[in-house]
Amino acid sequence: MALSLEVAGLGPRALAALVDAVILFVCWVMGLVLYSVAGDLLREVQALSVAGQLAAVIAVLLSGWGWDVAWEVLGRGQTPGKRALGLRVVRSDGAPVGLAESLVRNLLRAVEVPLGYAPGVLAVALSPRRQRLGDLVAGTLVVRERRYDLSRYDPAAGADPRFASLRGRAGALLAAGEFERLADFLDRRAELDAAPRARIAALLSAALSARAGSPAPDRDLAEPFLEALVAAYAEGR
Amino acid sequence: MTADGPGPSRASGVGAFVRARRTSWERLAELVSRVDSGRLSLDEVEELDRLYRRAAGDLARARAAFPGTDAEGYLSQVAARAYGALYRRRRGGLGAALRLARDAAPAAFQAHLPALGLAFAFLAAGLAGGALAVALDPLAAQALVPPEVRDAVAAGHLWTEGLLSAAPGFTGSAIAHNNVSASALVFALGLTFGAGTAWLLFANGLLLGAVAVHCLRGGLGGPFFGFVAAHGPAELSAFLLAGQAGFVLAGALVDPGEWPRGAALAARGREAARLLAVAVPVLALAALLEAVISADARFGAAVKGVAGLGLGAALWAWLLSGGGRTPR
Repeated sequence: MALSLEVAGLGPRALAALVDAVILFVCWVMGLVLYSVAGDLLREVQALSVAGQLAAVIAVLLSGWGWDVAWEVLGRGQTPGKRALGLRVVRSDGAPVGLAESLVRNLLRAVEVPLGYAPGVLAVALSPRRQRLGDLVAGTLVVRERRYDLSRYDPAAGADPRFASLRGRAGALLAAGEFERLADFLDRRAELDAAPRARIAALLSAALSARAGSPAPDRDLAEPFLEALVAAYAEGR
Repeated sequence: MTADGPGPSRASGVGAFVRARRTSWERLAELVSRVDSGRLSLDEVEELDRLYRRAAGDLARARAAFPGTDAEGYLSQVAARAYGALYRRRRGGLGAALRLARDAAPAAFQAHLPALGLAFAFLAAGLAGGALAVALDPLAAQALVPPEVRDAVAAGHLWTEGLLSAAPGFTGSAIAHNNVSASALVFALGLTFGAGTAWLLFANGLLLGAVAVHCLRGGLGGPFFGFVAAHGPAELSAFLLAGQAGFVLAGALVDPGEWPRGAALAARGREAARLLAVAVPVLALAALLEAVISADARFGAAVKGVAGLGLGAALWAWLLSGGGRTPR
């Protein structure tokens, strides 16, 4: 079984980078404000100044080279920008990236940034799997994760109050496989002509309502009855 | 099979297919996301494996019967994530970093000693060239030594004075950032079949050699070596490691062996990464030493020398002796 991942193109990736840049910028502004306030304090306490220096070294490294690496390793392949755009860095076999891969793909920016990312843009545009130079060397991909809403396949809302008594009993009314055939009919009834569609609905609703021990619904209520039955069954599973 | 039924036949609609299977797909997705964030019980792992196999089968059916639907897209995504969760090699995190430091980095280092030799040769050639040029012809300093260094030496002091009195923390972080950037470039230029890596190593050696001899001639030999003693060994070692990593990449391009160049590059890239994972923290440490200790007159040259050489020696000893086991 070949698995396929949707790779992300240039646009979302550039946007994600922009989001990260904005976040970093805000962090820096806040950091500078903090530093200017705390700097005087730190100078008073000599022992703390080494800690302050250490913090500054770490902060600069993190915002420069460490930002992407730290987020990708600890955040399952997502920086905040990538998360916002539904992107994720994965190894080419689909597994999450590790420290080594992330380090390589990000350190290779060293040849891309001075050239205005031109090599990266070209590589993303030309490579079949949309890989930047860093991705090619690290063996990584940037994939796009979509949000799929499976509830659109739910049976048409069958909360018809007239058939509320079906709730909780539908599981006993349908034998294995019947649910699917019934749902199949409801899915595809629009393809049928009006007469056979009404006849099938009437037959099904008569048979099933007999099982439920209730009188067959009127002709125009046959389909709402079936919808309610399917919905109650799906709910009860 | 119980309430789920025997599964939709090919003719049935995508809606019935999704309704019949959705519960197990969503359970699979939930288990997969828990693989990343926490732990699973043994039963859950078995359930994950079973659900993955079913989902893979469902995906095959969806591809054939309902290509392009949301159902297929969803299944494709969930199955790929489950595959990644099931077949990943190891968990990441702190444990992986420790394994990298203990086993993988020294092993990669030892496996690519020729690349290290090459890096050392270019750096040493630059050092010797710069030193010789300035020693033989003081005018060469005009070309090889940066003007601010020349001005400072002419005035009888090192250019580092005043460097760190202002804001040591920021100076240190600027140094760290620059050094990591330079090392990243040395590594990345391995993609130019090693030419860029070789040139950068040579050019940096040239600069260092020329500055050293220029300081010596200016009567500042003591202060100069006192300045570089603390951070120099570690910084040069990390730079050499980055050069080694660059030549490892270049090796994949020059001689990919039986592999396509892209595959060889990805394989060697992983090796190179292990070297970089050592070089980058060492550079940060060296920058800290440079900012805090190197320019501080309160520490004597002996203290700096012992600290610097000790750190360098520890690094090399670790790389040469560590990693009895080959990674993976």
